[in-house]
Amino acid sequence: MWSQPRAFRVNMSKESQMRAAINQKLIEMGERERLKELLRAKLIECGWKDQLKAHCKDVIREKGFEHVTVEDLVAEITPKGRGRANILVLKPDCFHCLTAFLVLTTV
Amino acid sequence: MKMEDMSLSGLDNTKLEALAHDIYADLVEDACLGLCFEVHRAVKQGYFFLDETDQDSMKDFEIVDQPGVDIFGQVYNQWKNKECVCPNCNRSIAASRFAPHLEKCLGMGRNSSRIANRRIASSNNMSKSESDQEDNDDINDNDWSYGSEKKAKKRKSDKNPNSPRRSKSLKHKNGELQCYETLGPEELRSLLTTQCGVMSEHTKKMCTRSLRCPQHTDEQRRTVRVFLLGSSLPDVDGVVENDGYDVPDGQALMSRLQWDGSSDISPSDSASSKASTNNSDSKKPKKKKKPSLGSLGLPSRKKKPKLPAPPTPSIYDDMN
Repeated sequence: MWSQPRAFRVNMSKESQMRAAINQKLIEMGERERLKELLRAKLIECGWKDQLKAHCKDVIREKGFEHVTVEDLVAEITPKGRGRANILVLKPDCFHCLTAFLVLTTV
Repeated sequence: MKMEDMSLSGLDNTKLEALAHDIYADLVEDACLGLCFEVHRAVKQGYFFLDETDQDSMKDFEIVDQPGVDIFGQVYNQWKNKECVCPNCNRSIAASRFAPHLEKCLGMGRNSSRIANRRIASSNNMSKSESDQEDNDDINDNDWSYGSEKKAKKRKSDKNPNSPRRSKSLKHKNGELQCYETLGPEELRSLLTTQCGVMSEHTKKMCTRSLRCPQHTDEQRRTVRVFLLGSSLPDVDGVVENDGYDVPDGQALMSRLQWDGSSDISPSDSASSKASTNNSDSKKPKKKKKPSLGSLGLPSRKKKPKLPAPPTPSIYDDMN
């Protein structure tokens, strides 16, 4: 549910439809899960997870131990995580899987 | 199917890439969210900060990053140069060699017993020919003790070379080759009257087979007797003189040798022919008296009944 682009609900353009269709296809084939696990493994390997966890600790200490909420964490960490992932992880790997998949499904 | 309806073939590569990129971004976001949930739950459950105790102990066990030292701060070669004192023999041994030394020193462990057994076996082989059977039993009894090897070695040096015991031990040879240097002159003589005695070139030991052993010729036996008995006499002035010197003892042995080789000849004929040669030789200066001939000849002759009448040489000598 998270991954579904919000634009889809609002604007049923051809592209977004296609995107939804592709996503659905991915899920059905189990390819999405596989890609997700692959990405997670890569992130742990390059230390992305540990770095973010250290950042989490700082945030928690800052905000107070007892009153931390999920939203706080998400707001603090997600942008940083995204940025780091784009730097650290060898995007081509996932990327190529995706493009290959897409090519296969479209043809 | 929806996919077939919407022809993706119309899309060019860039759009495909953009699509892939978007999907990828979604995946990354999923990962981030997963991490947030994990951390939040750990904080609320109280196990997030468990690996941090207090600052002091954390500093104690910090990873060390100095040269020459491992990550715990220990030096690699610290115990290499140290020396320990062995409690058994009170020697200072290097630490790395301490354990095997202790094993051998105390006489425990697999290797030390193996080495000890080997030593005993080798010392038994060496001393077998020179010691009595009783002595051999003693050696076997002292299997385990550390000093048994030393005792065995001392025994050899303490032995009297001319003791009467030696003649006993010769009987127990059982075909073993003997070292002629360790035997006294009497023993040599008695040996040579019963045995072939020819010395092999490789081992320098005497052949213990009978006087008619097929491996050696009579010629060889004769040379051995000349060599050994010529040089074994205690009163000899110079060694050189003995080379061409026909000692009556040697001569008697050689004549006995000839008798043994030519047993076909009738005793009386051989006796007379040998006696004449004996007489001619007896005129030369002798180191030992004649009666010794008889004494030499008699005991050995009793062993072999094949030989001709024992007292013949002495009889003919007396006649002359």
